[in-house]
Amino acid sequence: MEYLLHIVILVSIYAVLSASLDLLAGHSGLMSIAQAAFYGLGAYSSALLAVQFGASFGVGVLAGMAVSVSVSFIVSLPSLRLHDDYFVIATFGFQMILFSIFNNWMDLTRGPLGIPGIPQPVIFGWKVDTHLEFLLMAAFFASFAYLAVYLLTSSPFGRVLHAIREDEVFAQSLGKNTLRFKVTAFAVSAALAAMAGSLYAHYITYIDPTSFTVMESILVISMVIIGGAGSLWGPLVGAVVLVTLPEALRFVGLPSSVAANLRQIIYGALLVVMMMVRPKGLVGKYGFGR
Amino acid sequence: MLTQVVANALIAASGYFLVAVGFGLIYSTARFFHFAHGIVFTAAPYVAFLSYTLLGLPFEASFVVGILTATALGGMMELLCYRPLRSQGASALVLLLASLGIYIVLQNVVSVAFGDDLKNLRSVSVREGLGVFGARLTMLQLVTIGVSVLVGAVLGVTLLTTKAGKIIRAVANDPALANAVGANSGRVLLWTFAAGSAMAGLAGLLLSLDVGMNPTMGMRALLMGVVTVIVGGIGSIRGAALAALLIGLTQNFCVWFISSQWQDAIVFLILLAFLVFRPQGFCGQRVRIASV
Repeated sequence: MEYLLHIVILVSIYAVLSASLDLLAGHSGLMSIAQAAFYGLGAYSSALLAVQFGASFGVGVLAGMAVSVSVSFIVSLPSLRLHDDYFVIATFGFQMILFSIFNNWMDLTRGPLGIPGIPQPVIFGWKVDTHLEFLLMAAFFASFAYLAVYLLTSSPFGRVLHAIREDEVFAQSLGKNTLRFKVTAFAVSAALAAMAGSLYAHYITYIDPTSFTVMESILVISMVIIGGAGSLWGPLVGAVVLVTLPEALRFVGLPSSVAANLRQIIYGALLVVMMMVRPKGLVGKYGFGR
Repeated sequence: MLTQVVANALIAASGYFLVAVGFGLIYSTARFFHFAHGIVFTAAPYVAFLSYTLLGLPFEASFVVGILTATALGGMMELLCYRPLRSQGASALVLLLASLGIYIVLQNVVSVAFGDDLKNLRSVSVREGLGVFGARLTMLQLVTIGVSVLVGAVLGVTLLTTKAGKIIRAVANDPALANAVGANSGRVLLWTFAAGSAMAGLAGLLLSLDVGMNPTMGMRALLMGVVTVIVGGIGSIRGAALAALLIGLTQNFCVWFISSQWQDAIVFLILLAFLVFRPQGFCGQRVRIASV
């Protein structure tokens, strides 16, 4: 039972991440490989605040989101002037730089040693220390993320994002300052990813840089694409599929060393197959990138 | 010390350059980021390892087998994945994601098949390096530098003076127009993938002879190659050479003055700086945002 709850909690955390990326990739047509970097920023910010200053969970989440948004401007203002695959490469570079910081800035992040002993969240005196309680909280955050993405994308703001995705020059010709819209979408996406990071840090109570590698970014991209980019439930479906499928492998009885590789083989292969057979994703309606 | 740092920079630069010209050749014709280029780089030394240590083929033959495998692998990716995708009208982003998927699958296949530990293609007896202007280099490192200069020169001359080179440049410029005047852009792309992949395989083999191989070596090599291509300017071999030198020098001076763990972060800072201030790189053409 605990194990099942654990999986559902993981699904919720990844659902927040995939929703955050979908706002960019699915709705605005901006593929970012830096989602794990913002996820890590959130996790490290709230973990460090909690461990070193005893800050509460709520403060940690908000601080993580604030840090992530500020950093997102440093990345997005210059790189969103670039187009398509150049933007992908710029976010890739940023992801590598942040990973390097997580991994090498020993004084702050303790590098590969990681940060142990992150306290479990306490919200208004409610100590979240069982799986069930944490699940309730994670589900609340996930619903918040989906509601935020839904409200944003069905508003006039979202319609401009869709216009940018379809034809940016056309949106500009209608007098839209597309850079401003893209920068805002990037900031919201970074904030949501950071929120997922804080949740993760306070759930596992230990973080190290290996959770925030470029492979993690690609996993989130796979979730969005396999589920269906640009649709409301697509990212959730993707998160469910890509979290539970590898867990199912545990019961096949493979040695754990091979299981990790097999997990990546599965999502890599799914990525290729989806691109070739069903670029809309399982439940999506928007033909991704064409 | 200074000459040694410069020598190390040259060695690193020649590796980046070899990956970059192969990647750049593919990118400038096919117009998408072929991430799976990284696994082509990794596959060559592993196949050579298989045929040399496990099958007992002579070293030279294994080396050739490695390059041929790389060539075939790149060609197969184009035939089995990219070409069908392109005929469905897939965008550059879709191709990029598919190639990312291929990379992940194959890298993990290599991990499962050979393990994650560092392997050596051939244990060379340790000898004192040759002294060049007060720096110590091994024979292999000199060969690597020579090979990369040679490959760059041959590719440059081929592209600029031969008919094949002209056709490749035509397809790179405008595939539809090239087809209209009788070029077979599908075949040209296939050859481009094969040639670019052969260069990646060569680069992978040379690097693995120097420092050994592990399954993730291709990712770093690819990223350095991509940065080299962008900083140098798409489609410019001269630019790639300059960029490789810039990156090699920056990294090695970083190791000298700061510390080795930040050398990759610095490269990506250079990349971001170029993307912001000079997205066309040293010698590239302006990036077009829209065309009519």
